[in-house]
Amino acid sequence: MNNRYKFIVGTIVIISAVIVLAVQGLQDDSTMSYSKTVSEVQMLGERAKSLSLKVNGNLKKGSIIRNNLDLAFIITEGNSELQIHYIGKDPIPDTFNNDMDAEVVVSGRLAANGVFNAERIQAKCASKYEADYTSEPI
Amino acid sequence: MADLGNILLFFLFPASVFTALTALVAGITKRRGLLEAARRGAYVAFGVTTLAVLALEYLLITSDFSIEYVASNTNLALPFFYKIVALWAGHNGSLLLWTWIITVFSAMVAYQNRHKNNDLMPYVIFIMAATMVFFSTLSFFISNPFDTLYQELGNQLQEFAVRDGRGLNPLLQHPAMVIHPPILFIGYVGTVVPFAFAIAALITGKLDSDWTHTTRRWALTTWGFLAAGIVLGGKWAYVELGWGGYWSWDPVENASLLPWLTATAYLHSVMIQERKGMLKVWNMSLVISTYLLAVFGTFLTRSGVVSSVHAFSNSGLGPAFAIFLTIATIFSFALLLYRRKLLKPDEEMQSLVSRESSFLFNNLLFLLATIAVLWGTLFPAISELFSGDQITVGPPWFNNIMIPIGLALLLLTGVGPLLAWRHTSVETMKRSFGWPILGSIILVGILVGFGIRDGWSLGSFAISMFVMWTIVVEFVKGARIRSRHSGENLFKAVYMLSRKNTRRYGGYIIHASMVVMFIGFTGNAFNSETRAEVGEGDFFNLGPYTFTATQIHHSENENYSAETLELKMSRNNRIITTLRPEKRYYYASEQPSTEVDIYSTMREDIYTVLSGMSNDGERVIVQVYRNPFVKMVWLGSFILVFGTLFAMLPNLRESKTKNAVKSAAQGSQ
Repeated sequence: MNNRYKFIVGTIVIISAVIVLAVQGLQDDSTMSYSKTVSEVQMLGERAKSLSLKVNGNLKKGSIIRNNLDLAFIITEGNSELQIHYIGKDPIPDTFNNDMDAEVVVSGRLAANGVFNAERIQAKCASKYEADYTSEPI
Repeated sequence: MADLGNILLFFLFPASVFTALTALVAGITKRRGLLEAARRGAYVAFGVTTLAVLALEYLLITSDFSIEYVASNTNLALPFFYKIVALWAGHNGSLLLWTWIITVFSAMVAYQNRHKNNDLMPYVIFIMAATMVFFSTLSFFISNPFDTLYQELGNQLQEFAVRDGRGLNPLLQHPAMVIHPPILFIGYVGTVVPFAFAIAALITGKLDSDWTHTTRRWALTTWGFLAAGIVLGGKWAYVELGWGGYWSWDPVENASLLPWLTATAYLHSVMIQERKGMLKVWNMSLVISTYLLAVFGTFLTRSGVVSSVHAFSNSGLGPAFAIFLTIATIFSFALLLYRRKLLKPDEEMQSLVSRESSFLFNNLLFLLATIAVLWGTLFPAISELFSGDQITVGPPWFNNIMIPIGLALLLLTGVGPLLAWRHTSVETMKRSFGWPILGSIILVGILVGFGIRDGWSLGSFAISMFVMWTIVVEFVKGARIRSRHSGENLFKAVYMLSRKNTRRYGGYIIHASMVVMFIGFTGNAFNSETRAEVGEGDFFNLGPYTFTATQIHHSENENYSAETLELKMSRNNRIITTLRPEKRYYYASEQPSTEVDIYSTMREDIYTVLSGMSNDGERVIVQVYRNPFVKMVWLGSFILVFGTLFAMLPNLRESKTKNAVKSAAQGSQ
């Protein structure tokens, strides 16, 4: 009986420790990001500025402006647009350039001036890769 | 050839249905003839699928661009080698590979057990064939790699071909990517074998250790392939994605880790069942979970439920997988519940400080790790369900939980094997652990002296030292005793000792490999990086190194064009090497691709990325990462594979003279 008791105590201690770590991790809001689209961000209004966000949108063609290490661009969804300023350190993905129809996910925060400061950019090559063959039959 | 492939693939469906049904009836009626028929069915399924795979390979190699899969994943200028591996570059082809592997395993299991396990085999074949039915359905009806290109002309559909294909995704044109998917698939699919035996044992009620013995090698092989597949995926991400790391707790990475965690737990706890007859229900649950998590991983990669760099684009298979997973889950656990009375333990646990209990805590930690990773991976879906917001938890959340769990597990690999079964006395513990603990303390002292203050890293290094010490002692102690009696030298004695109990010493080798990998993981705490915009002749520093841009040049070949930066790396005016990070543009897929260049030593990796370029091509942006100990991760994985292979070797039987020595030794004790 004594041993069984010790086991139960040990198990409870370990499980509680892990739960504490899991909950503690959720208190730190920089590790949690809300996935939103461009228009959803605009609907959030002021609340958007308090959250860490992952915004999904389409890169506006020709909107990329590079200045030395600086990078700015616009993502769109329907009629909504969002100004992005890249402040991250990692190299930007290959599929990300001015002549591509890329679907983009930016992670970061909305600044007070309405510009989105992105720490991370992920690009998915949308239509380009799903080949449109009908134009070139033999 | 496409028609032939289609016919073969179509034929797999009735073949697997026939095999499953015959096997089931054979199980119920216990008729040997039917079992034999089911076995032949498994061979036929293997035969037709092999031919279907060869047909697709033929189409890929001959560049038949009337086939959508061939046109989407290859092009004329693609090197021959990559045309072959394009089989698993896309969703449809890789699904066929998955299906093929399961037919291979079914045929192997059927053949291996043709003279044994006659009670279990009907249900084993049934379970494997049922999985086959599911995958052949997907492969033929939903994601058929033999589909031709067609267009609508008025009311008619007309087939057509294109002049050249879209080419292989540049990200996939890498050696690690060539072997990563097949190896991981073998790991995933391999989980079905222990699962099939476990379910067969549950159905027949033959719940002794037959099924664990028969599947021991399968479980270990699967586990080794999963581990190798996970590490190769990391290696691929490291050299191909260009962000300087190999693991980011991406959903698909997590999905491959999950079955590995439960499989590792099983490999440990099954030893308790074999020795003590305990944890039977638990072992069943682990085997079932491993299989379900493997299917879940396949589902996650192909359903578009989560977004990931490793995932295929949304394939429309989500609902089918969801249904299959639900049925398999309910069926397995209902069966387990129904048989729970037959799974009573033979013994009770005796002491907190014993090998059994260390296994128990090992399993608890693996279980918690599995739940944590699963929870974090599915958190976007869970949070959307409850709060309406899709919330993603990032790598810090995973690290916060997984670093402590990982270190606790690592510590157990050192402590567990030294504890005796049943109960260990304080005296023995002092003797076993005294020196290793002292060694760790000294190491920590030295590291603090060198200015390392990060608590987790110090803890990790200390534990690594402790575990490595105990493992080496295990080998040396055993070899000393052996060489004293046999007169062999110490190296020969280590070899003979290990060969006589490959499972135990293979296990120690794998433990040592984990220590090496953990040292590699800990290196992450000391990463540094810099970014610079340079023209020819410019230089910048990172740590003790100076990087000088000596040249920026342009080159072309038939597959792609490239911009290359020549970056001279030096320390104290001594040139160490020249790095050549590249930016390529692939013609066929019209995609750019960044090729990193890495200077790798045991101590650290210098990882360079050409991340951007000015319009006139005169200046470039270069990113340099300094990552300590990354090579330890790859080295560790080689040791792990070696240890796994070693553990599978049959135990060496001593020759007569040796036996005489041994009995003499026993006599003298």
